[in-house]
Amino acid sequence: MGGLAAPHFKSSNMFKPFETISRSSLLIMVALQVLFFLVLWQLSPGGLIPGPIQILDGLGQLLATRLLFDNLLASLVLTLKALVYSIVLTLLFSYLSVLPFFQPMAQFLVKCRYLTLTGLIFIFTLLTKDGGALKLSLLVFGIVPFFMTSFLSVIVRTPAQEFELCQTLGYSRWQTLYEVIIVGKADQVFEIVRQNFAIAWMMITMVEGLNMSEGGIGTLLIKYNKYNDLPHVLALQGVVFGLGLCFDYLLGLLRHWLFSYTNL
Amino acid sequence: MTAYTKNDVLLQAKDISLYYDDKCILRNIDFTVRDIVRPGLQQGQVVSLIGRSGIGKTQLFRVLSGLQKPSGGTITVRERKPVESGNGSIEVWRERPVRAGDMGVIFQNYYQFGWRTVRQSLLLAARKNPALAGKEEDAIREYAGRFDITDVLQRYPAQLSGGQQQRVSIIQQLLKGSNFLLLDEPFSGLDICVLDKVTELLLQVSLSDELKTLIIVSHDIATTVEISDTVFILGKESGKEGSTIIREIDLIERGLAWRHDLRQDKVFVDTLAEIKGCL
Repeated sequence: MGGLAAPHFKSSNMFKPFETISRSSLLIMVALQVLFFLVLWQLSPGGLIPGPIQILDGLGQLLATRLLFDNLLASLVLTLKALVYSIVLTLLFSYLSVLPFFQPMAQFLVKCRYLTLTGLIFIFTLLTKDGGALKLSLLVFGIVPFFMTSFLSVIVRTPAQEFELCQTLGYSRWQTLYEVIIVGKADQVFEIVRQNFAIAWMMITMVEGLNMSEGGIGTLLIKYNKYNDLPHVLALQGVVFGLGLCFDYLLGLLRHWLFSYTNL
Repeated sequence: MTAYTKNDVLLQAKDISLYYDDKCILRNIDFTVRDIVRPGLQQGQVVSLIGRSGIGKTQLFRVLSGLQKPSGGTITVRERKPVESGNGSIEVWRERPVRAGDMGVIFQNYYQFGWRTVRQSLLLAARKNPALAGKEEDAIREYAGRFDITDVLQRYPAQLSGGQQQRVSIIQQLLKGSNFLLLDEPFSGLDICVLDKVTELLLQVSLSDELKTLIIVSHDIATTVEISDTVFILGKESGKEGSTIIREIDLIERGLAWRHDLRQDKVFVDTLAEIKGCL
């Protein structure tokens, strides 16, 4: 490709198919596009839709109190708890799925992604002892099928040579499971968590709306939405979006740090 | 001629056949590898399976390695087995069907676990060898020095050149301690300098133990014949479906085994022509 040498920002390169541009060029381009979009948004007559300055003002008001911080913390703690439970359950059932006995269970969990939570909330309410446990269980129920779908596809796509190398080295089947699936796919577990974190983060606002006693960013959103306080609603959406991107980046960094061979 | 005898059967392929659905890939494969004994030397065996591309060499390779069950026939290997007797434990020889793990297998692309450093991969293999118990690290250091990969022990496979990957694969299987080493197209894609090093290395391996047996599956006739003592040609017989061993050539009898600078030798050139004529 002709994009190998692109140290300078050249506007003509931006419109060449398959052109690769440098990181600094990309950052300049993104900054310009965001700025252009924000200016356009601010200048356009939006009616009830607030402009960027109003949203920034709303964000400033939220930051001025502990309201945003406390609710964000509640949401983050809940999300991280749900992620930990989901990862443990996903890994357990995914590793077990290589044993024929557990395959139906694993497949059932994968298919559960077609179930909607709406009709099941009452059942979960009966099964859990308080609002916190209800939210946690709903989140886990929502996340695990997606995690499992991704991880099982990683297991299924394992190259036959990985198993054959184990066989030629005289590994037992359990040793092969440990080497190829548990150790060999650990980096991909991280990638799946990174890719699917968005699901957990998106669901958090929904489940927090079901039980508002412990607060959370979802509770805040519902509260402001109820009064059509769009500057605050969009400011919160911006915070949710920004934090999601931060987590995505951090998980990517953590993966490269823990599994350095993924950088090669 | 160099003095030698062919003694016990180390490996025997008997009436091997392989079918995919109803398509015959291999049929009536029969051959034997015997222990070659040369006075004063630890002389291993180097056997080649030569055939054209697509003739079924890789399938036969997989069957020999125990990775694939044949549709019919058996592959037996000879192994030492400890047996309790009145005077304690003694070792007896016995023949048994080959199993995956009996043979060291070096795949064509020298596949290694991408998540393990070279040292870790070698350690995994060394730990499977009871003879190295407690001395795994020493053995790795020794082989790494001999095969010139000491500098890359902490690297991952993705950081190695093709030649380094090949040496790592060979050392890994040597550390595992199997007497049989199966190599799938070990000369393909190598430049002439590396090729010389690889052939030298394989000869070195074959001389490391009396029972060490290299089985090379290749379509590079000249290089393969240069380092082998026996050649089996895999081909098709007219009017018959599936490939079989159509010729066995004893290179020792022709004075072509264990020699250097064979390329100009008339018998060598004639042998290559004979093999080409069979393909």
